[in-house]
Amino acid sequence: MKKPSISRRKFLGKAVTAGAAGIVAPSIITGCAREPKKKIPEVSWLDLAPDGPVLKAGVIGCGGRGTGAAINFLNAGPNLQVVAIGDTFKDRVDQCRESILKEKGQEVALENCFVGFDAYQRVIDAGVDIVIMATPPYFRPEQLAAAVAARKHIFTEKPVCVDPAGARSVMATALRAKEMDLTIVTGTQRRHQRNYVATWQQVLGGAIGQIAGANAYWNQSKLWHREANKSWTEMEWMIRDWVNWTWLSGDHIVEQHVHNLDVINWFTASHPVKAVGMGSRHRRVTGDQYDNFSVDFVYPDGMHMHSMCRQINGCANNVSERIQGTKGFTNCYDTIYDLAGTEVWKYGYPLDDEGKPSSRKMMDPYLQEHIDMVTAIRTGKPFNELENTAISTLTAIMGRISAYTGKETTWEEMMNSDLRLGPKVFDFGKVDMPKDIPVPGEPYVPQA
Amino acid sequence: MKRFLIWFIPGLIAGMLIILGMNKLLVITSTNEFCVSCHIHPEADMSWKRSVHYETGSGFRVACVECHLPPKGEKYLWEKARTGLRDLWSYWTKDSASFDWNERGRLEIARGHVFESSCIKCHENLFPLTLSKEGEDAHLYYKQTKKTPELHCINCHLNAGHYIEGYTHGSNVTFGMTPSAPKELFMESVKVTEFESFTEQIPNSSVSFSMIAIPGGIFKMGSPAGEPFRKDDEGPVRDVEISPFFMAEVEVTWDEYLAFYAQTSVEGKSTDTQKMRSGMTASADAISGATPPYGQPDQGWGMGQRPAISFSFHAAETYCKWLSQVTGKTYRLPTETEWEYACRGGTTTPYFFPGDPQKFQKTGMKARLSKNDTTVINSYIIYKANSPSKTQTPDLVKPNPFGLKNMTGNVAEFCSDWYQPDAYSLYPEGLIKDPKGPESGDERVIRGGSFLDMAGSLRSAARSFTRTGEWLRTDPQMPKSIWWYSDCFHVGFRVVCEFDEKTGKY
Repeated sequence: MKKPSISRRKFLGKAVTAGAAGIVAPSIITGCAREPKKKIPEVSWLDLAPDGPVLKAGVIGCGGRGTGAAINFLNAGPNLQVVAIGDTFKDRVDQCRESILKEKGQEVALENCFVGFDAYQRVIDAGVDIVIMATPPYFRPEQLAAAVAARKHIFTEKPVCVDPAGARSVMATALRAKEMDLTIVTGTQRRHQRNYVATWQQVLGGAIGQIAGANAYWNQSKLWHREANKSWTEMEWMIRDWVNWTWLSGDHIVEQHVHNLDVINWFTASHPVKAVGMGSRHRRVTGDQYDNFSVDFVYPDGMHMHSMCRQINGCANNVSERIQGTKGFTNCYDTIYDLAGTEVWKYGYPLDDEGKPSSRKMMDPYLQEHIDMVTAIRTGKPFNELENTAISTLTAIMGRISAYTGKETTWEEMMNSDLRLGPKVFDFGKVDMPKDIPVPGEPYVPQA
Repeated sequence: MKRFLIWFIPGLIAGMLIILGMNKLLVITSTNEFCVSCHIHPEADMSWKRSVHYETGSGFRVACVECHLPPKGEKYLWEKARTGLRDLWSYWTKDSASFDWNERGRLEIARGHVFESSCIKCHENLFPLTLSKEGEDAHLYYKQTKKTPELHCINCHLNAGHYIEGYTHGSNVTFGMTPSAPKELFMESVKVTEFESFTEQIPNSSVSFSMIAIPGGIFKMGSPAGEPFRKDDEGPVRDVEISPFFMAEVEVTWDEYLAFYAQTSVEGKSTDTQKMRSGMTASADAISGATPPYGQPDQGWGMGQRPAISFSFHAAETYCKWLSQVTGKTYRLPTETEWEYACRGGTTTPYFFPGDPQKFQKTGMKARLSKNDTTVINSYIIYKANSPSKTQTPDLVKPNPFGLKNMTGNVAEFCSDWYQPDAYSLYPEGLIKDPKGPESGDERVIRGGSFLDMAGSLRSAARSFTRTGEWLRTDPQMPKSIWWYSDCFHVGFRVVCEFDEKTGKY
């Protein structure tokens, strides 16, 4: 096997990248730092993490994304292993084990395959260095707290919670992890995507002037649903159908759209202080979620971000962001335009076989985030994205609650709310909790 | 060269000795023994020895200077010199037994001699694994809130360095629930059939209190230009006509408030967020009262006949609604104008007793030097000069001309009006009848000053207002309580009862 030869200096350069992408931007809350900054952090990328002693990972949540993240992790560099996996359901664990074996030739020991609600704790306790989390977001605050208490590095999928109480718990866990120098990467892979980061550097350097407004979109077709099955309890059905239940997914404004909201928070180094939203349900088959949301978010200095997201077939689709500045605008992705709409800068993509710049030749950000994580651990330069992602998740939750209630919601309300979704009693059986679909203007009673 | 060496070597040695000596001096003057050689405060020594900083559990013992001086390099020498000189001066000129050491342990004063940077120097990690859920929320708030001098570690950890009897910083679910000796319970309230003072009885409790009939009349509200310590919000002076009403002789006592608390308090939380969620579904007749307080609402000063404190304006209003319900009368908070009318009791002077505010203003050494006679004010008012730093029972003061006690001083009192500095000029011209203040606002009026105030703020016309944000700063609960203020212990209230068909008006 060819080992990547990387000098120590390059490690440091990389660590700066990670730090820049992950931490520098939103250390937040003290207010808005939207003045164009002249000093742009230098970013250099690694295509493979450096070698080092074996790093063992455990996977919690063995669905498609958990399995995918496990394989991304194994592809991130040499000497990486997945040694434990866990899920609520046995069929998921079996599928995940098989995929890892087939794709990477690694066999997870059967005694390290755990099934049930407590599988997460048993994975954490299975002698791993890193925990990969991809269960429905409802479970994340508890699992993050347990993994940090056990001093594990973490790769966690976004979003990291579904309600304000969960967000606060994750923020505290994030600060605790910082004190412990743990590395936490959070599945907001745009922050590890080379064209995004280059565009962010342009904006930081003042390419569009001062930020004056923003848009965030996640409009797509129907996602998926599962019908109830006679052999399943209600709890099992809900968890298998999780992208349709707010208490499990946070609704799609939280579950998917958090990516786009996170980009705006990242580029503005801030987060909204209030929101007025609307949303509705037309097509969904199961669950209690909405099909679409439209939210007006306001940042501390009065800047507005309009956010929209939809999951309905046969409509106009668009997943992107746009930031308007006083000198121009950007798609946040790879291009800067002047006020007239003329392209003034474009990310330099690698060339394809025909010699044309091609985004397909760019490093896969889902792999890059694992390379960055392993590099941070192996070079002793921890970085921790968890607080930022908790803030972006709470941003989405604030928009959702405004749409559900029809009322304005504020950040302060969110930071003071004791809203905790989900059933009080947790077992496989009937799920005793309100399941009404929220009606704006009517009382919103999601808690048992 | 020789001559140079003759001077240089002894000079070098002398210099080194001086530096070593200075260093030794710094070390010696930083020992606990040195501290207590001047600070003769056996109570403070004892409370330190009973605190968690003395017995940390890890064997490390926290010394005086580790909290009472900043860390080295952060103005350490400057503070050491400054406090050293001050302490020497006190040692020679004052009697340490005359100091109220407990007073110095009170939060606002302790902030001045406990250095937050020193707390943080040892307690580097605010999120240790042993931290409770409430601790996580509170430390998250501390981390995310822009630093203000008021947000100090000791707001919540006041007893870290010195043990405080009865100090709680946790949900105080047993508060007010101590069983007392069985007493006779009143079965019903008192019937009032004519406009005369009466003694109200709270049904299903053994608590009674006096209500004084305040005759109606016309008076001048506000203070004339030229009154000492006058502020702009006390004018312009307006002629006001007030209808007759009844007013409680004393500020609502802990006995009275706890009767309400015992009969209505509920577990769990009721918050604005929750109201938003559940809509206006709460039934109109069942009054659900306060949730358990966080910490020690009576500040450890005792309850009984002392005025109740630490509860919110919302709680005071709810108390009045509840009292109306159980007595079948119309109890409420006084309007600001009723309050001033009752306080003045027919007087037009700064106080309802004779005297010049400027002569009463000075305390301590300055008062002694100026030889101002404060006997009169001392007999009517509990204030900064005589309180000492806490509320007192009403039997210590004489009443005003209407027979009301502690109208000024002891605790400030909630009025029902929204506060607005120019409220008096907003009324229509001419004689105003029973005004109720601005229609909306952010904060409520409080009147009368408290045991923390000096004479100038205790004048009948002096106005003040609630400061909701500041008064909830260290409540670590999420959401913050709507029933208890964590950082306000100088405000109470007094009830008025309307003279209406339920109290003998035809």
